[in-house]
Amino acid sequence: MKGIRGISQLSERFYAAARSGQSLVQPMAVHKLSTRAAHSYQDVHVTRLPSGLVIASLENYSPASKIGVFVKAGCRYETPDNQGVTHLLRLASSLTTKGASAFKICRGIEAVGGSLSVTSTRENMIYSVDCLRDDIDTVMEFLINVTTAPEFRPWEVSDLTARVKMDKAQAAQSAQTDVVEGLHAAAYKNALCNSLYCPDHMVGNIQSDHLHQFVQNNFTSARMALVGLGVDHTVLKQVGEQFLNIRSGAGATGAKAQYRGGEIRLPTTSSLVHSVVVTEAAPADTLAFSVLQHLLGGGPYVKRGSNTSSKLFQGASKATADPFDVSAFNVGYSDSGLFGFYTISQAAVAGDVIRAALAEVKAVANGEVTAADLTRAKAQLQSQVLMSQETSEGMLEAIGTQALAEGSYHTTEEISKNIDNVSLTDVANAAKKFVSGKKTMASSGNLIKTPFVDEI
Amino acid sequence: MMSLASRSGVFSPYLQATAFAVAGPLKPLVPGVVVKGEKILLDPKKQFLSRESLNGQSPKTGPAVTVSINGCAGVRFAHTDVRIPDFSDYRRQDVQDPSKSSQDSSESRRTFSYLVTGATTVVGVYAAKTVVTQFVSSMSASADVLALSKIEIKLGDIPEGKNMTFKWRGKPLFVRHRTEKEIEAEHAVNIAELRDPQHDKDRVVNPKWVIVLGVCTHLGCVPIANAGDFGGYYCPCHGSHYDASGRIRKGPAPLNLEVPYYEFPDDDTVVVG
Repeated sequence: MKGIRGISQLSERFYAAARSGQSLVQPMAVHKLSTRAAHSYQDVHVTRLPSGLVIASLENYSPASKIGVFVKAGCRYETPDNQGVTHLLRLASSLTTKGASAFKICRGIEAVGGSLSVTSTRENMIYSVDCLRDDIDTVMEFLINVTTAPEFRPWEVSDLTARVKMDKAQAAQSAQTDVVEGLHAAAYKNALCNSLYCPDHMVGNIQSDHLHQFVQNNFTSARMALVGLGVDHTVLKQVGEQFLNIRSGAGATGAKAQYRGGEIRLPTTSSLVHSVVVTEAAPADTLAFSVLQHLLGGGPYVKRGSNTSSKLFQGASKATADPFDVSAFNVGYSDSGLFGFYTISQAAVAGDVIRAALAEVKAVANGEVTAADLTRAKAQLQSQVLMSQETSEGMLEAIGTQALAEGSYHTTEEISKNIDNVSLTDVANAAKKFVSGKKTMASSGNLIKTPFVDEI
Repeated sequence: MMSLASRSGVFSPYLQATAFAVAGPLKPLVPGVVVKGEKILLDPKKQFLSRESLNGQSPKTGPAVTVSINGCAGVRFAHTDVRIPDFSDYRRQDVQDPSKSSQDSSESRRTFSYLVTGATTVVGVYAAKTVVTQFVSSMSASADVLALSKIEIKLGDIPEGKNMTFKWRGKPLFVRHRTEKEIEAEHAVNIAELRDPQHDKDRVVNPKWVIVLGVCTHLGCVPIANAGDFGGYYCPCHGSHYDASGRIRKGPAPLNLEVPYYEFPDDDTVVVG
């Protein structure tokens, strides 16, 4: 029997070599998909279970699989009495759980050559494991243990205090982290003002109970998504139904972020001034703001290039000859967003650089943008979106955040079409909103020549 | 919402602050920290400032922080925080001073150590020998058996010409008070005619008393006293005739009756065994 089947496969192979004009990503015409199979093989499959858990998977035929549990448990959901709990939660991902001790988790994952990591943003917490295809069961067990059955033993949690301090020291090494965290603290009254790192007054004061309570309130099925790359959808669905339906209910709803628009200045002895000026960006305008970001200058595209396509860069280079860097800053959350520009400059010319950057944005608001610029910006945005999905981490994150926020997945074709539909007026309006909106500013460095937010 | 689909992802290459538990081979290193006691010193290396080195340093979106098993670890630049415990409770007085040479006390330390080791070895060997011999000798005959090994007989109770039988070591013991006639008759026997030649003098200590085991040397029956053709014993099983000295004279038995060890502590008692 095997030999006969083999022979028939042989003829198919020769047929495949001889066929022309047929896309190699679609199954051959000889094999007809059953009518019930609405999707083809490489589509992203998304299912929403009755409990609210969203399951998404993509079969990418890769030898390595990636599985992520996305939870709406970012630091915006911290309450004033447990600020910093997400930092501890992030570090507590490798602690003892009900099904496996800390040693077993570490050893088990290393034994199969996988890795377990936790990434937290302001909105989401992402637990992801990657491993070879055959070892999915092993690492899945650990992932489920970590997300659904942590024990947070008090002595293990108190051992994390040293790591919290180390984390904060490492974060403080880069001024960008300080400035961006300060920006959020200054821009919002609640929710989004919480920092990704534990505040100083709470270091050592977060106990095991805080962690348990946070997990109880936020790790519910309705706020979770289970995403897999290189995993079978039915397998993932089974796992989701069996193990991730532990806590039903919507959990504690986060407060709506309230923008207040403030200023924060962090003086240091550094000769470089980091400064960011932003305004609130409504989620409905995100596409326009993203195109605007690339129009103005979204970072270097060519190594050792001269940033000729970046309007901000060209404007600031007229203001100073010293080394500097400027880029448009754009971050979006589910109910709010921030758009502006970020500058790094020498202390003496900080004000000039900031004002030059602002002038560039005003120019765009007045409509001084050519169609070529717009096309370029749209192309850059599209390529950024597509290139971010080139890596498995980027793909997982793209599928996961969409599954978690909306319960569905938009293909890159849809996204590209929407980007194309952004017009010049949309972009100009977005720039106008920035120019006229209430601004927030955060600066760090030697601030003698740095203007205040009402002076720029 | 389209909005979420188009923003740049958190895994995009910039602004990922990472803290890792276990070092992995493939991921790039984060700038390290030096941990000195309780304080954490930051990496003092400053990048050379130029337009190129600043290029791309501005963040374009909000940060995401990652913690991972099997990521890369913070590099340790110094190991001054590693604390070796204080073992001075267990160390010799002579060598606790780090500025004094240890050669001065080396001989005395060596002598002490070797003496103690040698003495312990000797004591240990003796102890081992004692233990082993105790275990091995426990396999030899027990006290009740040894107690049964000797028998003391009062000879005054045995009249002349009479043979008395005692149980000794599980076997019958014949004690015969011989008459003068029997003694002379036994002395006169020609040894060359005997199947198992033995003179009577060699079989008795005191000729008046012959003490033999009452076990026929043929197949082990108990001979009858004062029976048989030779005035001694007769074994009824197969017809072995023994004389008054216990020597085999006629019949199938090959050897004379066995003579045990005995001694006369005084004239009236004999201790056999």
